[in-house]
Amino acid sequence: MTASTATAVPVAGYTETRHHELRKTRILMIDGSLSSNARTCEAGVSARVHDRGYWGFAAVPGAADSQIVLDRARANAQAMSRFGARSSAPLPQGSYRGEHVFQGRAPISPKENLERLSALNAYCRQRYSGLRSVRLMLLEEHHTKQLATSTGTRALSSIQRAVCYVVFAAEDEQGAPIDLAEPLSVKGSFADLDLSTDTLAAQLDRLHEHLQAKRHAVPARGGLHTVVMAPRLAGMLAHEAMGHPCEADIVLGGAVTADLVDQRVASDLVTMVDFASHCAGAEVMIPVYVDDEGTPSRDAVLIERGILRGFMNSRETAAAMGTEATGSARAFGPTDEPLVRMRNTAILPGSSRLTEMIEGVDEGYLLMATSNGQADTTTEFMFGINLAYEIRGGRLGRAVRDTTLSGSAIEVLKTVDAVSDDMVWGASGYCGKKQPMVVSMGGPAVRARAHLGGE
Amino acid sequence: MSQLDLQAIAERALELMLAQGFEHAQSSARLTQLTELNIELNRPSLLRSTETHRLGLLGLVGGRKAATELSDLSEHALREAVAALHADAAGAPADEANAVSAGQRADIVQGPQHPDVDLLASQVQALLEFRACETPKMMLSEGCASHTLTQTCTLTSGGSVLASRIGALSLMASGSARDGKRASSFNDAGGQTHDLAAQPAQAHFGIEAMMRESERQVDPSALKAHFTGDVVLTPYAVVDLLDWFQSQISDDRLIAGTSLYARRVGQAIASPLLHLHSRFDAPGVAAISADAFATPALAVLDSGMLRSLTPSLYGSRKTGLPHVPVASGGWSIAAGSTPLADLLRGVTRGVLVGRFSMGMPSPGGDFSGVVKNSFLIEDGQVGTALSGVMAAGNMARMLEAVSAVSAERIDTGAWHLPWLRIGGLHFS
Repeated sequence: MTASTATAVPVAGYTETRHHELRKTRILMIDGSLSSNARTCEAGVSARVHDRGYWGFAAVPGAADSQIVLDRARANAQAMSRFGARSSAPLPQGSYRGEHVFQGRAPISPKENLERLSALNAYCRQRYSGLRSVRLMLLEEHHTKQLATSTGTRALSSIQRAVCYVVFAAEDEQGAPIDLAEPLSVKGSFADLDLSTDTLAAQLDRLHEHLQAKRHAVPARGGLHTVVMAPRLAGMLAHEAMGHPCEADIVLGGAVTADLVDQRVASDLVTMVDFASHCAGAEVMIPVYVDDEGTPSRDAVLIERGILRGFMNSRETAAAMGTEATGSARAFGPTDEPLVRMRNTAILPGSSRLTEMIEGVDEGYLLMATSNGQADTTTEFMFGINLAYEIRGGRLGRAVRDTTLSGSAIEVLKTVDAVSDDMVWGASGYCGKKQPMVVSMGGPAVRARAHLGGE
Repeated sequence: MSQLDLQAIAERALELMLAQGFEHAQSSARLTQLTELNIELNRPSLLRSTETHRLGLLGLVGGRKAATELSDLSEHALREAVAALHADAAGAPADEANAVSAGQRADIVQGPQHPDVDLLASQVQALLEFRACETPKMMLSEGCASHTLTQTCTLTSGGSVLASRIGALSLMASGSARDGKRASSFNDAGGQTHDLAAQPAQAHFGIEAMMRESERQVDPSALKAHFTGDVVLTPYAVVDLLDWFQSQISDDRLIAGTSLYARRVGQAIASPLLHLHSRFDAPGVAAISADAFATPALAVLDSGMLRSLTPSLYGSRKTGLPHVPVASGGWSIAAGSTPLADLLRGVTRGVLVGRFSMGMPSPGGDFSGVVKNSFLIEDGQVGTALSGVMAAGNMARMLEAVSAVSAERIDTGAWHLPWLRIGGLHFS
């Protein structure tokens, strides 16, 4: 690996070409019937050229001649001159040479994979006979990118993840349908995903117990509450609440974080980092050693003990902000250009214990699972909560119906008064921002004040 | 631009699948060519030209099903994919519900068939000039004008032959307004049409209203107290309601037995003011279903009466419900008789909601979410912009509680929707 110093390259000189293959498999089994059993392979060559302040991009499928695609991209950049001369700061340099391919377990055959899924379905139907349905969804995704840039990058990168969603559905006391999902995600392929019932038995029992509790769930009381967010939610909090407003293109687009660098945006218990390839000495779930602009990736420290420290940058946003690129420019598919995206975003662990954090709440909620989330330029965030319990006098009470958590990220993070000493990572969903993207999120349990939706 | 013979590719694939031992098969060749001019941070930024081709294969053997999609159309890759597909299917459980379409015919050509970069550039220029003159606080963080040509050819072993050549022009703008250190919530608007030049750029898809309203949202207020009142959904917010309803009448919920409406065809399930019909000939839409059926016009709701569910062929055979093919988009709620101004005047206390930011509603329809790009309505007057306000309700009850439908609608191609006034939502 070699990384250059951060000097500037001539504005008209930057080019990149990417050979990109994206393989996906999606299997959906509903009560033992295979509703979907599909795999896709999309491969192509793309090129991007920066010329006199404008970009040109082109992409074609298959193993096309990259020079032809590059010429098309250059012609597109030059065609932008119709809008007049445009000045722009020189793009930061930075190059990388290396190969990073995850070596997981040997692949398993499609037949073996479906047999595992059928066995898991049979186990669930037999053990939890009162369920209305069992849905099992398997997703596997493998990105392979070969990148060459005019700054000298020559890199091969591979990212691979597999996910299994187990969804139990039942009826509540009134006969209305309810459901609850458990996402299981790993780095690697289906072979790396342990679906044996011996391994999953305890998790499935807990999922079933929570669903039974949801049958008698009560509505959340709308308004501001003390909430203990389980680790899975803290990862979402990191990603949605302050992750997006710290993407430099969002900052340049008017996010309120633009004026808050070196100011307090959270309690001093909160440190938040977008990790590039490693966290605490271990490779993360979505390791990015070099981004899709050929910039060597480095961790982006977003919040340090409550103080906003910096943003995630591409070459272009770094030039606009007069800072260094963090290697955060990523493209999802072969026809996509790199955008500033998160990689592995986490709140770092503290020193509290989850049980003590619950015991310390007189009246509030324990939030355990989330379905989705959204962010805003104002730092107002929300995420769906599909598993929660009341806390009364430091003890867990009744389950709560599906609700939504929201607040201003800065206001919420300033109220954090406890952070647990554990850390949970997951990479089950997609981040959506013009293109989808595979990311991971991590965190400990966090206690704060935030709004819950409800009557 | 590539000149692929999609029919020849699909025929060859079907031939190889049947030779491999599949008893029933479907092949679908697709070529998509995109020319797109991008806006970033209030300036033209990038011109892209991309091309993708895909070949989708679905095979059935002994009632076992597998599907694959590849972008390498070479003979070698095709043979390899067909062999792998057969192995995938052999490992799948047998299911009598698996089938492919038979005897379907379609040959659809619509929309502009060639890109016009000058037109795209003029639309981008016009939109940026409008922003600079009329809504200078608005930061268009992203936007684009584009032309897409999508050509498809789908064949099945049952003799179906469905071809389409769909051209469409689109315009999209997104961002937030900024005034000093204050910023509005993020907002966006956009859609597809056959004729971008038919009206000023900002007049398409409610883009002008989005930009003007964003400027009015830089200084929002929180609610002083919880209340239960009316909500007026803009067409962009109606999409959330429509998405939930359509998920209820589609395969996953019908097969899993968690749909509220599986046994309610012929019954009133919504306000008599609601009429939901297809418009499968809308810009950017081909009247062909994913499982290779031509999609005739369809009424889903007539005066609030549920006329039809929308199970696919597989969903239909799995559940015993009648098969109703639908295209990938193209829906319309009929305009009402109430002018929007009158619809708003009828609200004593409520909220005009630009969009919901929310978790997925429960299968029973319960939801809560943050109302975004929204304004308080008091005594019929649209007042202050809101922030930090949450709404809670139930989607099924909202469909029943529609009390007015606006005469005005926004047409984005994929949908053509009015404003709806609905009672009984909780705001906190």
